[in-house]
Formats: sequence, structure tokens, C-alpha cells
Amino acid sequence: MIAENTQTQMRKGILEYCILSIISKGEIYASDIIGELKKAELLVVEGTLYPLLTRLKNNGLLSYSWKESTSGPPRKYYQITIEGTEVLEKLDITWKELVYAVETSLFGRK
Amino acid sequence: MNKTIIININSIVFHIEEDAYETLRGYMIDIKRHFSQSADSGEILLDIENRIAEMFSERIQSGRKEVINKDDVSEVIAQMGRVSDFEEASEEEEIGQQSFHQQQTSSGEEHKPFQTGKKLMRDPEDTTIGGVCSGLGHYFGVQPKWMRAFFILFVLIGGSGVLLYIVLWAVMPVASTRADRMAMRGEAPNLQNFKKNFEEEMEGIRENFSGANAQFSRGLRSIGTGFGEIFKFIGKALAACMLVFTGATIFGLFFFFVACTLAIMGYQEEIYFPPLEVLEAGQAFFALLAGTFAIALPFIALFYIFLRILFKIRPMNNYLSMGMWATWIVSIIVVIFYCVIGAQDFREDSIIKVDRPLKVQPVYSFSEKDVRVIEASSSADGKTRYNIQVDGESLHNLLRSDIEIRFESLDSLEKPFIQYHYKAKGKSYQLAAERASKINYQAEQVDSKVIFNSHFALGADDLYRGQSVNVVAYLPVGTKVGIDRSLEGKIREIAYHNCYDNYPEELKIKQTEWIMTKSGLICAIPEKVEVEKKEEEDATTSE
Repeated sequence: MIAENTQTQMRKGILEYCILSIISKGEIYASDIIGELKKAELLVVEGTLYPLLTRLKNNGLLSYSWKESTSGPPRKYYQITIEGTEVLEKLDITWKELVYAVETSLFGRK
Repeated sequence: MNKTIIININSIVFHIEEDAYETLRGYMIDIKRHFSQSADSGEILLDIENRIAEMFSERIQSGRKEVINKDDVSEVIAQMGRVSDFEEASEEEEIGQQSFHQQQTSSGEEHKPFQTGKKLMRDPEDTTIGGVCSGLGHYFGVQPKWMRAFFILFVLIGGSGVLLYIVLWAVMPVASTRADRMAMRGEAPNLQNFKKNFEEEMEGIRENFSGANAQFSRGLRSIGTGFGEIFKFIGKALAACMLVFTGATIFGLFFFFVACTLAIMGYQEEIYFPPLEVLEAGQAFFALLAGTFAIALPFIALFYIFLRILFKIRPMNNYLSMGMWATWIVSIIVVIFYCVIGAQDFREDSIIKVDRPLKVQPVYSFSEKDVRVIEASSSADGKTRYNIQVDGESLHNLLRSDIEIRFESLDSLEKPFIQYHYKAKGKSYQLAAERASKINYQAEQVDSKVIFNSHFALGADDLYRGQSVNVVAYLPVGTKVGIDRSLEGKIREIAYHNCYDNYPEELKIKQTEWIMTKSGLICAIPEKVEVEKKEEEDATTSE
């Protein structure tokens, strides 16, 4: 139970960071984000992504534009805002610190 | 061959098979419920619907496959993820409602631990009177019949069950929808359970109308409803009685309030209500208002409950009921406040003793003069606010009759006198003493006659603060005393009535004769009386 909880917490934090990073590479469609995340073996279902994207958008880190699609309805393409980039830079630093912290802590462990 | 349904997701039309549609619909309901608490639920749902529409259009190939079937829906749902998948990974703020499953498995550290599995509601499908017992049964996981037995027991013991039932009836909402009933039984309101619930119901109906013992069970059921009808009738009759009773009480309270208010304002003087006499007029009005509310509000609430029982009326508006609660509590606080204020004025006692000489007489005749002569016939309790004649003046006063008279002996050579103890209470000793000094009461002596007024009057602006008068008549040993019957109520420490009984029937007169001895007054007539002696004494008194 405790392990599960910690795992969930860890994933939650990283998920946002990863999504921001993926979007920062350029305009992207939600289901392509899923594809990227699946490649990274991080996310399983699409349903989880939409609330997250909506929240990041409402916080001003993301913006989107509608684009026509060849198959089906128009699609929402997400892109990172300036604010989002700033946040991402901060997260980059934090991530490096975390990696260092974890590696240091794990060093020498069998 | 399959029946298809045409659906429209975000302005795109799809043909979908019926069973696939049911699955999709259930899934969407789950999702809606999951995100219902989230502020962005509209946008999220739109995104999800959009995506589903897109995935459907990817699956449709014109000419070859034009209908969405169950497999498509399952695949889409698998890709989108079930609600349970969202909960594992999603943020705390996005979780609107936890599923029943998670509540059971999650430990206390999960959020929203206060949400209980069951709701306390009345069950309209299993009622005797109002479905309260069956609702309680569901809530506590007990069979309704035990709850009913419990209630009947409480009705038999002092009838408290009736009141409890009525209160619960009013408080518990009726489980009118299927979702309500499932919440009442503690089942999670998702599609599977809906289905199960519905199937169970159908099963029940089928059982009732088929099978060998259908006739029997139907008979049993009608007996049950017969009893139900009787209980319902008794309940309604009881409620009607209580409705009339509470209505009359409210009505009476209202008139009492109006009458008391008029009395406080001085328009009407016939009302005498002791607690209000203690307070000043301004305070008395607020105390009266608060007191009326404190008593009337519960009755109004009861009245409403009975109205609800008898007629189909909506439950009281939340704001209104909260307002009533608040008013009631405030009224009680105000009443307590004025009680304290009033009581404070009774904290200190003061007694002023005054000796006044009596003219020496061998025989005294004590009697009472009723100061209310004019209005006395209409007031029996002795204290009222009439305009009356006191000592020739017209005074608008509060009359008090807290007067006690005792007798003490003196040495035969000493001079007789009467000692008055004027008593009053107040917030401070000084105030109490001031009040005591204001009491104007003393006996009047005309030759051998000593006349006591029946009442003493408070000043026009004085309030009742325990004002009373104790009179002690000090008389030399050997003095003969005649005490009028009218004084009987004021006399203390001697058994007036016993002496009166000593007189033979034919000589029952207004006055009894006493003689002062060293140990106090003694009845002049021994238990066996000779008529001649009695007459002699009569002669002496009349001299």
C-alpha cells in the first residue's frame, strides 16, 4: 500500500514535467503526446491526459489552436507558452538536483 | 442482423450497434461522474468526446465498415482508460468522486474518508407508515422488521417512539430515484449495479406473478398492505390530532404574546404574568419576545412536520430551517440572559426593623382591613394592578400580600409594641435596603382595635424584588387578644384553626380569643367549653 502510494506520487510529479518537455519540442496533438509517453513507458491511458492538459492550459503554461484533420473532427494542437518555458527551465534545474540527490543517495547500495 | 442506433458526437454522426451503445453510454456516465467535481469538467469531457469521435472515425472505412460495434467501443475504452485507471494516476484535485471499490480498499490516508457508503433515506418500496424503519434497517444493515419491533417497543414505553418516528420521518429524505435507493443500500451508483438492481427488481416481479405459490404470496402481501393501511390511518389520525394541538398552542402563544405586550405597554392591565413583573418594561418586552420564540418555534416546527405528514408539502427550505434554528438558539440565550439579569437583582437581602409602640390596653382585637374593597371581587390571588383606593389615595400600584404576623410575650410590666421587619432584595445591599425602606406598612390602632391592611403597595415605578413584611407583636403577659378570622392567613406560629375548632358549633364567631402567657399566645378556650364562660368573655371584649 505504502509502496503503491509513493509510486503514484513519484509518477504524478514526473508526468507533468515530461508532458511539458514533450510539448516544448513543438506543436503537438494530444494523442501524439500519448504516443510519446507510451514510448517513454510512462502513461497507459489517454483519459488521464486531458485533465492534466486542461489544468496546465488554465495555469497559462500551455496554449492550443484548432487544426483541421483529414480524418474526423478538428484537433486541438498544444504548444508551450513563454511562462511554460520558464517553468520548464525551473523544473530542469530541480530535476538535475533530484537526479543528483537520488544518485548520491543510491551510491554504493547493493 | 443487428439493430443500430445513430449517435452524434461533437457534430459527427455515427451508426452504432445497440449493445455497443449501451456500453459506451455507461462508460460516458462513469466519466461524467468522475469529473463532475472538477472545475474544468466541461472542457475535459469535450476533449474526451472529441477523441472518441476521432477514434471512431478512424475505425470506419466507407463501404466496408460503417457501423461501430462492441469490439470498437471496447478498444476505444481500453485506449482511453477506465475511470479506475484515471484514479490511480490522476491528481488529487481532479478526482471528483471516489468509486465504491476504492473506498473499500483504500486506507485512511486516501482523501475524502468522510464519505460513507450508505445514505440514511426512507425506503418507499418497503413502507409501513413512512418507510423510516426500512430506511434505518438498510442503514444499519438490519432487517426492517427488527427496526419496526424496536419502534413498537418504544411506542409502548411512554410513546416516545411516536415522536422519534415523526422526527425521523421529517428528517430523512425519501429515496425516490433508483440512484437514491442504491445509495441507501450502500451500492456504488455505477452501471453494473444499476443493472443488477434492475434485474433484481424484475426478478422480484416475476417471482410474484409466477410459480405455484404466487397466490399464497400475493395473499400474504395483501395482508401486509392491510396492516400498512391501518398503521397509515392511525398515523394520519394521530398526526391530525397533533396538528390541531400544535396549531392551537401556536395560536394561544400568539395571543398570550399580544396580551402581554399590551400589558407591558400599559394598555391593558388584566394580564398578570409573574416572570415579566420582575423586569423593567423595556427588558420585559425583549424577554417576552425571546421567550415566545423559544417556546413557539419548536411548536411551529412540529406543526410543519405534521402538515408534511398529512399533506404532501415540500420539505422546508434549508435557509428557512437554518434561520429557525438560529432564531431559536438566540431566543434561548436571550431568555437565559434576562433570567440572569432578573436573578441578579435578588442577590442581596436587606431587613429593616422598626419598633412602633402600642397604646396600653388590657384587651386587643386584631383584625384585617382589605385594601382592595372596591375591586376585591374580581381578584382572588391578592396581587393585581388595579386602580384602587389605598388610604384614600388613588394609586396605580402593585399590591403585595407577603405579610406575616407573629406574637411574642413581654414581662407583664413592659409596654406593648409592634416590631416591623421590612425585607427586600437587590443587586447590592444598598439597593435592597433602599427598597426595604420604601415599604410603607403599619397597623392602625383605634383604642383596643389593631387593624392590619391586607396588602402593602409598591411604588408606581418599583419592581417586585422580594419585598415582604414580618410583623411581630410584643404583648405583656396576661394580655387578652382577639384575633379576627380575616387575619388567619397572615398569622404564623400559632395554630389558629385549632383554637377556632374549640368553639362549639353554635358559637362560631368571627373572632377567637387568646391569652398571652410566658410561652406565647394560648387559645383562651380549652377544648371542652362551657357556654357561660364563653359569654362572660364575650362581654369583656365588647366593653
